[in-house]
Amino acid sequence: MSLTLTVDGPRWRAHLRAVAETHPGLVPVAKGNGYGFTLGRLARKAAWLGVDTLAVGTYDELPHVASRFDGDLLVLTPWRPFGAALETDPSLAHRIVHTLGRTDDLTDLLDRQPDARFVLERMTSMQRHGFSARELWAAARLLHDRHPGARLEGIALHLPLEQGSHLSEVDRLMNDVVAAELPTRTVWVSHLTDAELAQLRASYADYDIRPRIGTGLWLGARDALQVTATVLDVHEVERGDAFGYRSRTAPKSGHLLVVSGGTAHGIGLEAPTGDQSIRARAATLARGGLDAVGFVRSPFSIDGKQRLFAEPPHMQASMLFLPHGPRVPEVGEQVQVRVRYTATTFDRVVVS
Amino acid sequence: MTSPGSALSVREISPEEHLAFLRTRPSASFLQTPAWGQVKAEWRRESLGWYDGGQLVGAALVLYRQLPRLKRYLAYLPEGPVIDWDTEQLSAWLTPMTAHLKKQGAFGVRMGPPVVTRRWTAAQVKEGIADPAVRRLGDLPPTERDATGARVVAQLHELGWRPQVTEGGFAAGQPQYVFQVPLVDADGAPRTEEDVLKGMNQLWRRNIKKAAKEGVEVTVGSTDADSKDDLEAFHELYVHTARRDHFTPRPLSYFRTMTDALTNEDPDRFRLWFARHDGDLVAATIAVRVGTHSWYSYGASSTEKREVRGSNAVQWAMMRDALASGAHVYDLRGITDTLDSDDSHVGLIQFKVGTGGEAVEYAGEWDLPLNRALYAAFDLYMKRR
Repeated sequence: MSLTLTVDGPRWRAHLRAVAETHPGLVPVAKGNGYGFTLGRLARKAAWLGVDTLAVGTYDELPHVASRFDGDLLVLTPWRPFGAALETDPSLAHRIVHTLGRTDDLTDLLDRQPDARFVLERMTSMQRHGFSARELWAAARLLHDRHPGARLEGIALHLPLEQGSHLSEVDRLMNDVVAAELPTRTVWVSHLTDAELAQLRASYADYDIRPRIGTGLWLGARDALQVTATVLDVHEVERGDAFGYRSRTAPKSGHLLVVSGGTAHGIGLEAPTGDQSIRARAATLARGGLDAVGFVRSPFSIDGKQRLFAEPPHMQASMLFLPHGPRVPEVGEQVQVRVRYTATTFDRVVVS
Repeated sequence: MTSPGSALSVREISPEEHLAFLRTRPSASFLQTPAWGQVKAEWRRESLGWYDGGQLVGAALVLYRQLPRLKRYLAYLPEGPVIDWDTEQLSAWLTPMTAHLKKQGAFGVRMGPPVVTRRWTAAQVKEGIADPAVRRLGDLPPTERDATGARVVAQLHELGWRPQVTEGGFAAGQPQYVFQVPLVDADGAPRTEEDVLKGMNQLWRRNIKKAAKEGVEVTVGSTDADSKDDLEAFHELYVHTARRDHFTPRPLSYFRTMTDALTNEDPDRFRLWFARHDGDLVAATIAVRVGTHSWYSYGASSTEKREVRGSNAVQWAMMRDALASGAHVYDLRGITDTLDSDDSHVGLIQFKVGTGGEAVEYAGEWDLPLNRALYAAFDLYMKRR
C-alpha cells in the first residue's frame, strides 16, 4: 500500500555510467531527500560508479552517506563556526572537504583543524555564498602568508540555472581565480551545460574541472523512472453525499477513490516550480481557481488522465473524485503519479 | 602588489618631464612617448603625470579625438598609461585620471593597459593551427597565465570599464594579441644569437642562410633630416607592397614626421633597415625601440626576387641589433587570435610564429564612458563605420 518509485535498473545504470563517462572528474551530488532515491542509495550508487568524491548538501547529511561511500565527502553548504559543522564524526575528518565562503571562517576552521581540507567558493551571480574577487585575493594572501601548508582542494563555483550562456560569467570568475594566484588548479562547477563545460575545459585545459551534478545525473533518464500509488478503496457516491474529514458533499454522482500517497510523501505540497513562462503562470492561476471551488487537480492519473482531489490530501492517503463515465479502477490497482522527485518521499524504491 | 602611500593626483606635465620619467622605466610602449603625440598631429595631445606627494610616479600620453562638430573628445591612451599596474588599488590611479580627462572635455576614455594576460609558445600555436578543432588562441590552454594581468582585468570590470572586443580580425585600435621573441631567458640573462636562431623553425633558419648565400646585404638607412632619400626608398617599396597586398598605404609625410619625432626624442628610437640584392632593394623595414623593448613596426618587400629571402635577412638583422642593444623583447606586433587554417590572417601568424617566440595576449583596450549619451552615440558611430 505504498507510494512507490520503480526504477528500470538497467536503463538507469546505463544512464549513470554514460554521464560519468562523458563528465570526467564527476562529483555526484546527494542531498536533501536524495532526489527521491534516498541518500543512502545514492551513496552506494556513487561507490558503484567509482567516483572519488561525493557531494552532500549539509553536515547533517554526512551520516547517511559516510558508511555507504568511502571516498571524499564534499559539503556544499559553507562551513560556519557553529552548528552541525562542529559536530561531525571525528573519524570522518580526513574525508570531509569543507566549503568556505568567508575569510573569518577560513581562519577559524584552520585554527580549529589545521589539516582541514577545503574548497574556496567564489560568489557567482547567484549571490548566495562565497568570496568576492577581492576577498578571494585576500584569502589567497592569507593562505600564502599564514597557512602555507593548508589543504586547499580547489575553487567552487555554484552557477545559477542557465538563462542564456554562462560562459561570460564563468570567464570573469575564472579570471578572478587566475588573479588570486591560489596554489590549486582544481575548479568545482555546477549547472553548466555540456557544451559550456566542453568550452571551459578547452580554454582552461591547464585546470582540473570537476562538474558537480545532481539532477542531471540521478534524474536525467526520466523514462527509467515510474511513480505509482495503490488504489486502497473505491466508494460509489451520489450527488450530495457527504464524505471526508471535512464532510464535503459530492458535486455529482461518481466514485471516491482512496489512493496511497499523502502529505507525508510530499503529495499536494508542491514547491513552486520556478517556471516563469506565461503558460506555467496561467496554469498556476487555473489551479488556484479550482482550489477556490474545492477542486484541485491531483498528481494522480487514471488511464492517462489526471484526476481531481476530492479533498486535500491526508497524511498517507489521498481521496480522488472520479465522475461517472470513465473506467473505475479496482482496489489493488496501481495508478500513475506525477511528482517532483526532490520534494517526494517514497515508501519504497524498487530498482530492477 | 603595492598601493600608493597617499592619494595620487594627476596633472599635465611637460613633454620633457614626461620623457624623463619614461627614461626611469625599463621600457614603455612607443605609443606612450611624447614623440608619438607629434606623429599623431591631427589630435590634441597632452602629457599627464601622476604625483604621489611631490614625486612623479606615473605618466601618460593622451590623444584627444574630437567628435565631429562638437568640442567633446574621446581621450585615448594607446598602450598606456604608464603606471603601476601591479596594484590592487587601481582606482587610486584611474579615478584622478578620469576626473582630469573629464575636465578637459572628454566624453569617454579609451586605454590599453600594457599588461600581459596569457602567453602561448610558438609550438603550441603551430599545433593549434594544425588542429581543426582549435579555431582561436583562447581554445588552447596557455603556457602561462599572468595573475597581475588577471587582477587588472578584474578591477577594470569592477570599476565600470568596458572591454573592446576583438572578434576575428584586427580590432580598430591597437592589437590585443602580438607575437614576441624574448631576448632574455627565464632568469633575465641575455640569450645568445645561436640560441635565438635555434628557436626559429627550420624554414626561417634555411631562409636566413639562403639570403646570406645569395649575397643579400642588410644596411641601416640614414634618418638624417637633410637626407630624405632613404626614407623615400622605403616608402616607394612600401607603396608597392600595399598595392600588392591590398592595404591603404600611409603617405610619405607620415613617415617623415615619425622619423623626425622619434629620432629627435632619442637617436636610438627609430631605425630604417634595408635588404639589397645586387643593388636592388628587396626588403625594407622600420624598427622602433624604447628601453628594453624593440619593435618591428613597418615592413615592405619587393615582388621580384622573393627567392633571395630579403625579408628573413632583414628580420634577423633587426633581431641581432635588438640583442646587441640589450633589448629584452623583440616584438613583431599584431597577430589575430585566429588559428583557423582557412582564415586569411593565418599566414601572417605563421610567418611570425616561425621566429620561435610566443604569442602574447594583452588586457586589450577598455573604454570608460564619462558622458553616457555622447559615448553611446560614439559607440554606435564606430560600429556602423
